[in-house]
Amino acid sequence: MAKDIEISNSESKFILEALKLKQRLDGRACDQFRDVEIELGEAYGDVTVTMGKTKVQCRISCEVAQPYEDRPFEGLFHITTETTPMAGAQFENGNNTGEEEVLISRMIEKAVRRSGALDVEGLCIIAGSKCWSLRADVHFLDCDGGLIDASCIAVMTALLHFKKPDVTVLGEKVTVHPVDEREPVSLGVLHVPVCVTFSFFNPDDTEENIKGEHNGEISIIDASLKEELLRDGVLTVTLNKNREVVQVSKAGGLPMDALSLIDCCHKAYGIVEKITDQIQRAIKQDSIARNQYAHILSSENARES
Amino acid sequence: MSRFEIYSPEGLRVDGRRWNELRSFNCSINTHPNAADGSSYLEQGNNKIITLVTGPQEPASRSQVNTKQASLSVTINLTKFAKMERSKSSHKNERRTLEWQTSLVRTFEKNLMLHLYPRTSIDVQVHVLQLDGGILGAMLNGITLALIDAGIAMYDFVSGVSVGLYDTTPLLDLNSLEENAMSSVTIGTVGKSEKLSLLLVEDKVPLDRLESVMAIGIAGTHRIRDLMDKELRKHGKTRVENLTN
Amino acid sequence: MSGAISVTKRKEFWSNDLLEGDEYESDLGSDEEHDVEMSGAHDSNSGVDHQDGSIVTPGELITDDPIWMKGHGTYFLENKTYSSVVGTVSRVNRLLSVLPLKSRYIPETGDHIVGRITDVGNRRWKVDIGAKQYAVLMLGSVNLPGGVLRRKSETDELQMRNFLKEGDLLNAEVQSLFQDGSASLHTRSLKYGKLRNGTFVKVPSSLIVRSKNHTHNLPGNITVILGVNGFIWIRKSSKMDLSNSTTATGSGQSDHLPGSKNAMSVSITRLEEESSWEIYSDKNDTVTVSVRQTITRYANVIKALAHCELGITEPRIISAYEASMAYGNVGQLIESETMESLGQDVLNSEKMRGAA
Repeated sequence: MAKDIEISNSESKFILEALKLKQRLDGRACDQFRDVEIELGEAYGDVTVTMGKTKVQCRISCEVAQPYEDRPFEGLFHITTETTPMAGAQFENGNNTGEEEVLISRMIEKAVRRSGALDVEGLCIIAGSKCWSLRADVHFLDCDGGLIDASCIAVMTALLHFKKPDVTVLGEKVTVHPVDEREPVSLGVLHVPVCVTFSFFNPDDTEENIKGEHNGEISIIDASLKEELLRDGVLTVTLNKNREVVQVSKAGGLPMDALSLIDCCHKAYGIVEKITDQIQRAIKQDSIARNQYAHILSSENARES
Repeated sequence: MSRFEIYSPEGLRVDGRRWNELRSFNCSINTHPNAADGSSYLEQGNNKIITLVTGPQEPASRSQVNTKQASLSVTINLTKFAKMERSKSSHKNERRTLEWQTSLVRTFEKNLMLHLYPRTSIDVQVHVLQLDGGILGAMLNGITLALIDAGIAMYDFVSGVSVGLYDTTPLLDLNSLEENAMSSVTIGTVGKSEKLSLLLVEDKVPLDRLESVMAIGIAGTHRIRDLMDKELRKHGKTRVENLTN
Repeated sequence: MSGAISVTKRKEFWSNDLLEGDEYESDLGSDEEHDVEMSGAHDSNSGVDHQDGSIVTPGELITDDPIWMKGHGTYFLENKTYSSVVGTVSRVNRLLSVLPLKSRYIPETGDHIVGRITDVGNRRWKVDIGAKQYAVLMLGSVNLPGGVLRRKSETDELQMRNFLKEGDLLNAEVQSLFQDGSASLHTRSLKYGKLRNGTFVKVPSSLIVRSKNHTHNLPGNITVILGVNGFIWIRKSSKMDLSNSTTATGSGQSDHLPGSKNAMSVSITRLEEESSWEIYSDKNDTVTVSVRQTITRYANVIKALAHCELGITEPRIISAYEASMAYGNVGQLIESETMESLGQDVLNSEKMRGAA
């Protein structure tokens, strides 16, 4: 097993004492999400998301495959999350059955795939025999907390950015047109789920948490790695802009008052709105940049002269 | 699925319950006194679960030794015959099972007084004999009973139940037919409080409906807590009588 | 019990809480079984919701009266004391604790236990006694061949496996407890040591009631050691068992010699004489078929009592043994119907005796 990162007792005490005074190590407010930086690559579907020191890359690729027998009208869509020691010493190479790894991959799976964010029926080429098989490979390049949030943004942006090659179907014959021959087509993205992670800390004794009245638990948004290591509980909320809760996961940890959990969901909505807008802006800018010569190449120009 | 009427206009569900009714709930403890330190058998509707707790005991390996508190582990055995169709795989290394195990460990870590048992390990095994929706909630209940039977100190009961949202009506304690037809929320509550130890929403639920779903879920878990409490007292009474006669 | 304590005094009380708590906890154990029977004997304080001996479940409020000190099985927030296990409320002086109905064996100094060697280490053996952690038996806490006054030498350290090795069963006494609750054992008495000539039965430790004597000579030339930890050893009575027996057994037909010597009063000279290599022998004496049958019968009778969740005591074993004579086949005794009817027989005969 890979060695866990350990924080010295004095430092953990320092961080917790500061949190009680609503102070965080990086100077953020308790409910402040880190600034998200979205970088779109040269190829379609290559996205790098940076949040503070956390860096996640997502790359989408596709190939023609056979659909599942019980779902002839649907294409295939897989998300693979690869954790390597590149992200941090706490991850093990090639072994993705660690607690943290499983939770991250399940969460992204639930948030994106099971919520139907991608229109898999649009991946169908010929019902029952040919379809697109889409893969999203998520690589964790650097980890300073918030891996789930960052990878969800990365996957969703990549899906919006990706374009699959155009195909023509003539009877049973399928022709795939290379990207440089014919303009590729975008995927059908039905909604954009965004994850927001809350971390909970218990400032008092456990007895106070279980039986006490005053619900003094501290909750912060988008914890850094050190805060993640010290937290007593975690809640990941996935929402989309339509005010739909796609997924909520509070898998154990510090018991929290139901109302404050709902309050967290509402807080998350504000952040989700902002991030969704940012994703869409990035996609738009990219498509403008890619088509900067469109007006030169346009045939209209030629006629004017 | 469409042939079933999930929720009739008269307010009845597929199995004849109303929206706020639990399935039949039966439990017993100390079912395997020779095999384990604590054990329970639980039926929540058609879910049938055996839970065994061994420990606190000497850890199997040196690496498990934690000098501050006991190390807790949960193993889920989802039997091949638990569903209508016999499944081919043993579900053992499925991500879903691993996720459940982690969730259960993290839930009980905060509710057990593990600091009282340093340098020991507590192992929980859950055997799902029959599966019919809301299994995670049922596992929470089964483990709570088995841990109490083992005499391991805990702050309070943890009781779990699932709630679905059918259109705008929340439905309590889903069976698998209902679970497949609508989005479900699993809730694990601590004792009689409104504190949630576990909250899992697996499908789309409108943000503004979440509160009403949670409210009925909390009421359901409190009811289950009372049912478990009753069984424990009944068992305790006969035990005390036998011992002091 | 003083009903009211002023607030100022209580503050002082809090600070001493930990220190005093430990003291009280240690002497709590000896009164354990006594307390359960005491139910209702205490007068009730106002604001105390639960009487002595009443059953509570985890998270349940026991009292909101601040005068109580919090013992095992409880936790508190401000003035309120809650239970953390299912069990019976116990009050000793001002210490409030909840005795769990069932739990792993918790060792206490002076307990007579049966254990199994799991590990031979540096000048010590690790012994599985069914508790949270393995107990420790130091090389210095055993009698070695050659008498007590002999010094332990390096050769003894090297040949520890010749005395006790992995898998050996022994009976011993808890000498002391470590900080974390694990036990240190000793076998410095003739009644302790390696076990031979019999069979092992394990029952939940909660069924064994702590008492003065845990070695009983039973009718049929059998000796049983009821380890407080729920480990039981049933063997053919040895000469020493018979000469050591002090208590008259409940039944009249006991065929052992009348008690002549107290086990505790074995003189040092005697001890020396007995401390030969023989006490670490692995060889069984010849045990006849009929004795083996009787041992099995006792073993199954004890299993039956455990099945019915009855406390296991000497009179009960004898009573169940007598009742079991109705079944010719010893193997029949562990059928669940038979076990239940045996348990019922025992309870009935106890009622009869109580009525008479």
